[in-house]
Amino acid sequence: MTAQPLLEVRGLSKRFAARAGRDPSPWVIQNLSFSVSEGEFLTIVGPSGSGKTTLLNMLAQIDVASGGEVRFQSRAAPVGDPKALNPGLSCQIGYVTQEDNLLPWRTTIENVLFPLRVQGRLNDATRARAEMLIRTVGLAGFQDHYPHELSGGMRKRASLIRTLVYDPPVILMDEPFGALDAQTRTHLQEDLLRLWNLGRKTIIFVTHDIAEAIALGDRTLVLSRAPAQIAGEHAITIPRPRDVRGILTHPAFAGLYERIRAQVQ
Amino acid sequence: MTTSDGTIDLAESPRLRWRPYAVTAGRIALAILLLVAWKLGADAAGELYAADPIEVAQRIVADTLSGELIWNTYVTLRLSAIGFVLGCAAGIALPFLLRRSPRLTDAVEPYIMASVGIPKYALIPLFILWFGINDAPKLWLVGLLVFYVVFIAVFAGIRSVDRRLMNMARVLGASEAMISREVIWNSLLPFFFAALKIALPRAVSAAIIGEFLVGNEGLGFMIENARNNADTTGVFAGIVVATALVLVINGVLEAIDRRVNAWRPTDRHMEL
Repeated sequence: MTAQPLLEVRGLSKRFAARAGRDPSPWVIQNLSFSVSEGEFLTIVGPSGSGKTTLLNMLAQIDVASGGEVRFQSRAAPVGDPKALNPGLSCQIGYVTQEDNLLPWRTTIENVLFPLRVQGRLNDATRARAEMLIRTVGLAGFQDHYPHELSGGMRKRASLIRTLVYDPPVILMDEPFGALDAQTRTHLQEDLLRLWNLGRKTIIFVTHDIAEAIALGDRTLVLSRAPAQIAGEHAITIPRPRDVRGILTHPAFAGLYERIRAQVQ
Repeated sequence: MTTSDGTIDLAESPRLRWRPYAVTAGRIALAILLLVAWKLGADAAGELYAADPIEVAQRIVADTLSGELIWNTYVTLRLSAIGFVLGCAAGIALPFLLRRSPRLTDAVEPYIMASVGIPKYALIPLFILWFGINDAPKLWLVGLLVFYVVFIAVFAGIRSVDRRLMNMARVLGASEAMISREVIWNSLLPFFFAALKIALPRAVSAAIIGEFLVGNEGLGFMIENARNNADTTGVFAGIVVATALVLVINGVLEAIDRRVNAWRPTDRHMEL
């Protein structure tokens, strides 16, 4: 681990604004601290409603923190004022959300090229990269389909490579494979590990599936029930490259799984 | 129709296969029925109260050949089109401007909504007083009527845009202008087309009513002039042409709507 973390969260707290005439809403996250170093694959597990999405929204600067600080490359994110936010930190943090959030009026290829287009980086090289990614995740032949003509798994893949195509140094993922069947999920996990091995980005991957957290991550954080705090931290020492299908039978797996499960409540 | 294994097989049902033809035949029969009823009614009422459909058709042909009808239609169409474009532009621009400032929106919204209640046609005398006897009062009337319909639809459309899509676009590096153009504009297109389906016929009606009162050309003037001369056939001819004009405009609009919204899932693809 390097001395200077790429992303640092210190004493982070979040509560949503109270509606008129009501008591202030409870804390979703309170006094949360952790850090992520460059090139690390961090997985975060926690029960539903433990503020995982809220945490990622704050890291991506879609949502503003109520207290504490988030530092990216030593620069602090604004606290309290939503107008001062810089969503995606000028394309340095990619975010694969829980829903695919594809533009329904754009075809697969147009959706994948969208970030390049709005960033003014659409050229032959980036187009070729997009085509390569589309083939890698098995969307070849579906370039001109609209999102509603794709299956759920295909939409997930499209939204995944829409973020990979512009190569942000950090990628946040919010249960990206949560709603898929086991087969498709394993496929996408393998795709993701393969793509990660090509580029070694920093990834923060949120899931409620403990096996997925172990299979993918270098390190796993366990969040407690709201207000979210760190309930445990586990280094995943299973060597890479990993076999997502065979990981369940790895000798280190069962012990890790039990220790994490005991902390997820 | 139920097959031997008890399932319902829609594709094989002869009743469904003939349905499109039956609908077309029914429509033609209804049209003939209405024309016959018109003819009988006109004969019973007398030519001062209801014009004979055959005479109306003859009049339309004659006025078309003389060029008078084409010119009047052009005048009304031009007036409706200019008024429509102005009202539509303002109706789109204002909600996009208000989007930039929620506080201004909250301050202005009740006044705009209250002004919806003003009967626009009642403003014509004022417009004549302010802008004189030319195209300006008519343009104001058409523009205002179109503006309110478009404004309310676009305003509601902007409010209903999926925040998650907007946040996604921001994270991907889109500027506010790009978000307006790509995410908001495309999201509110269905609202916009629904508004156009109301606004376009209204624009033509407003232009015709404006022409009743101001000027000496256009379909509205043609109808009013015929009424002054107790020429009921001329009044009916004007109404028929105005109706046809609105139908043609609606047809063009539907075609554009189908083209622009081609990506939308149809019933075949509907996910439940």
